[in-house]
Amino acid sequence: MSLNLEPKRDHGGQAFESSPAVIRTTGVRIPSTITGKLLFVLSRYREASIAVVAVILVVYFQIGSHGRFIETQFLGVVFRDTARIGLVAVAEAMLMITGEIDLSVGSVFALAPYTMGLLSVLWGVPLVLGAIAGVAIGVLVGVLNGVITVHFRVPSLITTVGTFFLLQGIAVSIYNSQPIMTPVEEPFNALFGESLFNPREDALLSWHGMTAFSSVIWAALIVAVMAVVLNRTTFGLHTVATGSNIIGAREIGVRTDRIKVYNFMIAGGLAGFSGIINTLQFSSADPAAGAGYLNLQAIAAAVIGGTSLLGGSGTVIGAFIGAFVVATLNNGLVMIGAQATVSDIFLGAGILAAMVLNVQVERLRARRRI
Amino acid sequence: MNSQDARVLDQNIPALDPDAPVILEMRHIGKTFGAVTALVDASIKLRHGEVLALVGDNGAGKSTLIKILSGFHQPDVGTIILNGKEVHFASPRDARAVGIETVYQDLALIGDLNVFHNIFLGRELHKRTLGFMLLDSARMRALALTYLNTMGISIPSVDSTVDLLSGGQRQCVAIARSIYSSPNILVLDEPLAALGLREGGQVLGLIQNLRRQRTVSIILIVHNYNQVFEVCDRINFLHSGAIVLDAMTSETSEEELIRIVKSGVVRAAIGAAAPGNGSVPA
Repeated sequence: MSLNLEPKRDHGGQAFESSPAVIRTTGVRIPSTITGKLLFVLSRYREASIAVVAVILVVYFQIGSHGRFIETQFLGVVFRDTARIGLVAVAEAMLMITGEIDLSVGSVFALAPYTMGLLSVLWGVPLVLGAIAGVAIGVLVGVLNGVITVHFRVPSLITTVGTFFLLQGIAVSIYNSQPIMTPVEEPFNALFGESLFNPREDALLSWHGMTAFSSVIWAALIVAVMAVVLNRTTFGLHTVATGSNIIGAREIGVRTDRIKVYNFMIAGGLAGFSGIINTLQFSSADPAAGAGYLNLQAIAAAVIGGTSLLGGSGTVIGAFIGAFVVATLNNGLVMIGAQATVSDIFLGAGILAAMVLNVQVERLRARRRI
Repeated sequence: MNSQDARVLDQNIPALDPDAPVILEMRHIGKTFGAVTALVDASIKLRHGEVLALVGDNGAGKSTLIKILSGFHQPDVGTIILNGKEVHFASPRDARAVGIETVYQDLALIGDLNVFHNIFLGRELHKRTLGFMLLDSARMRALALTYLNTMGISIPSVDSTVDLLSGGQRQCVAIARSIYSSPNILVLDEPLAALGLREGGQVLGLIQNLRRQRTVSIILIVHNYNQVFEVCDRINFLHSGAIVLDAMTSETSEEELIRIVKSGVVRAAIGAAAPGNGSVPA
């Protein structure tokens, strides 16, 4: 197939005559009514609805906690959870856009830092190298998940449940399920999650103050990169194409199998990175750290952030804001005196509401042709 | 959506130059699938710039014939001659490489991507930003817009995702996508199937625009030929795996075709067709 950079349809010096009766609108029509405008914003910027929810929650908890929610120390905790869930949620969103899902991220989250700790304790391997090895293991798990799903045509839901238990078993049995205390090797630990912040001594905008937020800063950077990858690269375009119409995408020449495997690799790598950041916060690697709960929190974050489980559409920024909402619910409800268990009720209701809203907005969008 | 879709077809198309060279010939093509004989002895000729309608009932062999042309199937017997040289297609890639583009009924459009990303999918334009090759969406958008306007295709916006377009608009985008690679031969597989009258009119308008250009030769697979009579130069009637009628549209008429269909060799086909499916006006 030849590739033309400019449309060449005026061979012989004769251009197409376009019918004068045809009126073409080239831009997007912006609706005039308030509902129309609201729907327009919601459908154009899928992150908008979850961002509104996030702001409402913050305001609610700030009032409910008598102004203690937006405090460095508490916000630091919320942001750590946001980073931990968000990194996985972003990867999950990418996979869900291709029409796949990864339930093994929870055990990669545990295995990667556990490997790092083990290498350090047994052979004195520096944490930096151990961390690289941990992320590499995550990427390899992604290759395994991808190849089994794509080449052996096992649905990824099943593939990754299998690898979830497999890796969980390895992590727990490899060192008699002992938690490992990892050494502190500055500045590596402080750069990747350990907080040196002491509210009584340090200013917020100091090096120590920054470390309180290092994990969320890393997460935000990675989310920004992933957003560019999804929206501004050929890989991102092909990711959407794969999930939206896999047969059509193949006919056009998109290498859909490769796209899926790469996204599984991204998921494994990010889950490993998230686990390492989480471990460095406490300098302790627990072989059962992630478990199944993190998978579900991450998927919940992606879904309420506006990613469709059916593939073809989704947003990584929405998934990250979704992670913030999940973290805020978990911590905020405890802060205003609710039972810790209550937060799951809200999270569950939130997921259902988000799904209903997503489907309805999508239907209205289709009907109004916004 | 608007009245713009119900355009009147421009009838002032100059007749095809009788000396236009034959660019494609399929000679004595035969193909069987197990016990089923799809094609017995089908031969077609296509001249440069010509719009040829391939008409026939379900099971007449239309799909098999074009799938052989686009490289999906290989013929058991017969030859394909392109620009005077015999060619063999082992895969659709081979057919594309020599400028034969096919738009299938399933269209291969990505519903969740916008119009211009669909047109450029698989041949994206990039620009270097901070050392990274990122999509140059602004340029793809601008080019797609100019391009669609030049082709006379009207859609509400190149920014809207394809799943929000109507069936006719989608068909036009799919055709535009194929034309963008400047093929020599464009094969349209039932482009009017599942389209209403107005929607079909939009697609016919586009074909008429291409026909006026006389730069690309088009093979139009159709079920219901009365719709396409006005946009074709020639009609080939395929029946039971062979061409039973080859007529210039200027030298024949809808009524004549109906008469031939009723009286002649294809009576059996009409008897076999389910009543009221509108495939052949009986």
